[in-house]
Amino acid sequence: MDEAKLDAQDREPDRRGFLEKLAGWTMTGGLVLAYGTCGVMAARYLYPSRSRGTRWQFVVQASRMGLGDTLIYRSPAGERVTVARQGTTGDALDFIALSSTCPHLGCQVRWEPSHGRFLCPCHNGTFDSRGVATAGPPFQAGQSLARYPLRSENGLLFIDVPLESIATLDEAG
Amino acid sequence: MTLAQKKTIISILAVLFLASLVFVQATEVLRRRREAGLSAPRVAVPASSTACVECHAQETPGIIDHWKGSTHAEKGVGCVECHQADPGDADAFDHYGARIATVITPLDCSHCHPTEFQEFEASHHAAAGNILASLDNRLAEVVEGSRVPFDPHTPTPGRSSAGPVNGMASVAVGCQQCHGSQVALLATEGKSITFEDLVPDGNGRPTNAAALARVRKNADGKPLFDPDTWPNTGIGRINLDGTRGSCSACHSRHDFSPRRARQPENCGKCHLGPDHPQKEVYEESKHGVAYRDLREHMNLDADSWVLGQDYSQAPTCATCHMSGNVRNGGKITHDPGERISWTNRPPVSLVMDTDAAHKVLTESDPELRRTLVKDTWQEKRQRMKGVCSACHTPDYVNSFYEQYDDFVVLYNEKFAKPGQQIMDELWKQGLLTRAQFDEEIEWTWYYLWHHEGRRARHGASMMTPDYAHWHGMYEVAERFYVELVPQARELAARAAEAGKEVEAQAALAVIDEILARPEHDWYEQ
Amino acid sequence: MSALSSWFRARLTVPWDTLRELTNEPVPNHLKHWWFCLGGTPLYLFFVQVATGILLAFSYQPSTRTAYESVRYVTEQADYGWFLRGLHRWAATFMVAAVVLHQMRVYFTGAYRKPREINWIVGMCLLLSTLTLGFTGYSLVYEQLSYWGATVGANLADTVPFVGGFLKRMLLGGDAYDEHTLPRLYVLHAALLPAATIGLVALHVAILRLQGVTEFRCATEPRDAPRFFRLFPDHVLTEITIGLVLMILLAVLATIFPATLGPRADPLSTPEVIKPEWFFYVAFRWLKLFSGTAAVLSLGFVLFVMFAWPFIDGWIRRRKPESELSVWIGIVGVLAILALTVWEASVEH
Repeated sequence: MDEAKLDAQDREPDRRGFLEKLAGWTMTGGLVLAYGTCGVMAARYLYPSRSRGTRWQFVVQASRMGLGDTLIYRSPAGERVTVARQGTTGDALDFIALSSTCPHLGCQVRWEPSHGRFLCPCHNGTFDSRGVATAGPPFQAGQSLARYPLRSENGLLFIDVPLESIATLDEAG
Repeated sequence: MTLAQKKTIISILAVLFLASLVFVQATEVLRRRREAGLSAPRVAVPASSTACVECHAQETPGIIDHWKGSTHAEKGVGCVECHQADPGDADAFDHYGARIATVITPLDCSHCHPTEFQEFEASHHAAAGNILASLDNRLAEVVEGSRVPFDPHTPTPGRSSAGPVNGMASVAVGCQQCHGSQVALLATEGKSITFEDLVPDGNGRPTNAAALARVRKNADGKPLFDPDTWPNTGIGRINLDGTRGSCSACHSRHDFSPRRARQPENCGKCHLGPDHPQKEVYEESKHGVAYRDLREHMNLDADSWVLGQDYSQAPTCATCHMSGNVRNGGKITHDPGERISWTNRPPVSLVMDTDAAHKVLTESDPELRRTLVKDTWQEKRQRMKGVCSACHTPDYVNSFYEQYDDFVVLYNEKFAKPGQQIMDELWKQGLLTRAQFDEEIEWTWYYLWHHEGRRARHGASMMTPDYAHWHGMYEVAERFYVELVPQARELAARAAEAGKEVEAQAALAVIDEILARPEHDWYEQ
Repeated sequence: MSALSSWFRARLTVPWDTLRELTNEPVPNHLKHWWFCLGGTPLYLFFVQVATGILLAFSYQPSTRTAYESVRYVTEQADYGWFLRGLHRWAATFMVAAVVLHQMRVYFTGAYRKPREINWIVGMCLLLSTLTLGFTGYSLVYEQLSYWGATVGANLADTVPFVGGFLKRMLLGGDAYDEHTLPRLYVLHAALLPAATIGLVALHVAILRLQGVTEFRCATEPRDAPRFFRLFPDHVLTEITIGLVLMILLAVLATIFPATLGPRADPLSTPEVIKPEWFFYVAFRWLKLFSGTAAVLSLGFVLFVMFAWPFIDGWIRRRKPESELSVWIGIVGVLAILALTVWEASVEH
């Protein structure tokens, strides 16, 4: 590179005055901030924060279930959920909604009122009334039945479930 | 340009870029807010109703489309939740593996909407089906039709084997489609079975097994409805389970849309016509004009629709008579009677003092009245004034009510009570036959109070001058002076000729006394 | 830091100093004029397109049944999806404009002349690649105009003599627009053409670097002004500046004029007006002025002339050394392009 042919002003790379240093830092900072924000937006786009696809769905009139009653609710996505009434205070806390799918290998569990427990017939895993495993392979793995949120409105019980699974997505869009 | 200058420029540009990204972020936030409000949620069919929806989407796609647009569908209330029936129900039948009933009564809706059910059952709307004993029904069943089927006397080309003429057709298609039929099942021996035969208990289940056994069913085991009584969504329909009413009269199925119920066109299915033109009156009034202009801005789709808070452009029927407003804490009532202070239904208007059974008091003794009244007309008027005051000042509202009261009282005192007096006297003196509507004066009187008199009063109540005056009091006056009085006098004269001089004199005396009053004395001058 | 760099140097035995010398090319002074920065602009925009395109590809579904809904999802639901799509749309427009302006600059400054004919041809290939990227990209949205634009385009390709049928079938993946077409266009747009573009750009820059940038001196410049300045950091900073200006423009435009979604493609309903993207207006109007084979052949001829221009120009200048005919032809060409484009833009048919 022929130094003589370089622009005269640019031939002084070592004159690092304070202002020039400042210009350098603000430039780098500005670029990082601006393009960085773009990057954050791109990241947000890739990782949507809210989980869509669940909605509160009607289950039953609360008055129709007495203490100890259970019903099997089938969600629109096809999941079986055991809804049991365990209290009588008259709000959503009386109820519990547990997935009927055993976390061990996916068999369907049954509620046994006489024993006050859920039993999985495949490998005799058992769960207490809150869905926590008490015996069998799920207990050994420290697993519990998945719980679904419940709420009560005007005496009507609602459950927050996913609306779709791959199985139900048979239409376009 | 030095390096430092270049770097400074880049810094400035980077800040500008960042600023534009702030703009982007703001747009994103706005978009998310809009999306939260506007996006029509996709409906997932509840598991219990998937079979229904699959088949009916082919058979009756309209029903499924409507339902998918409803809040029920959003919340997972499907076909089975409403249509499921107990085996003991009179109209239950097996349908592709489900036990269902076609007709949904307010009792069915009450399982999830108990408040609305209670308010509605107490309202006059629910009582609409009970006109069966009133004058109107004779008009449709006897005068316009026939209570007993009769032979067609000449054949109709193409329908030679049609059978006898159904004289109740006018009632079934006319009166009862608004007022509500008494739902009946066909019986095996040819008659019909209603709730009176079934004697339902508190849960709507029939207790009379014999009546149940007589229900005629088709080859698939489905009970057959009397076609005179079903289809029917009259608001006072008397159902097989003993409840009165039909929620789908206003919340049409299957989307049960509150949006539709808020619009005057909904009420206008029944509240219109020459005898109670509420819809026409509303449309002509300033309220109706404002509504027509501004309806897109009135948030009709909103969940919460409180006057003064979610909208204030104009009131609709629902606004004044049912919906919540900022003065009453946004509380809706399904009993429109709660805010009405005059009942303009009878020939002579009465104030709406109601007793514990929500019936209008006719008792004239003030002491007795005081003991019977549960909700006074003044309290009702206060509730209505609460609505008015969302837009109008107290002086405005109070003076309006003075105008309204004056008008109703004028009508009452000048035409309604005198007219009633004249007719009562004619009946009392035996100058009229027992049968209704067989003499001209009976029609005259009917027009005066039932059609023109009502129009006048409705026009006054909803500030529509043309209906109050030209379609109203003007025609009332004409009917009274040009027809009722001369017809009454002629009746008396003919009765005197036929030998009933004493009775005729009595009737004429009543007429003369009325016409001698100062408000009528112009007539004879 | 120097410990880290010596760690790398010990393992990656690359002649770093030679490399630095090779890459830190002296940039002729005239490049301080912004008109000469139009080459870096499409390159920067290409990077923007690749970045936003990859992000969009996470959500796009190339099936006729779900394509439109996936675009709707990006536009209406995905966080910042509308923004990324807007950037992608606007950067496409800018990139085509920048390529065309760059080509005009090269043309009018005669920088295609010997020994730079090969690079001109590579540049022409880049032009065609960019235009095809624009065409295929819009077809992916599966709006009405996407579908019908692709159909019309394929039918136009069909009118090319001899190879027309083959071209149409290759484009559509069948005899008509069917379920094979969209995946085909998608691979073209998202894989083949970007790869080809990267290769062509690498070739373009390599040849440019090997041959050096044509030097220019303006008549107004003082005699003793330096002839070169450094690529790094000077020219790089200039390019960063341009990049920032572009990003600001793109971000603002994407927000004020966001990419919208027209009606979904309906193969059974032809819209009243079918138009391609704006950069095809000139060709569209040209084809409508003539009919059938004459139209396609004449367009092909024009393309051929564009490709072969350095040689044609060389032939002219051998006849008349100081001829300015190329400039006049260029002016006429630019005006014609503008006129045809504006004409097509202002009428419906």
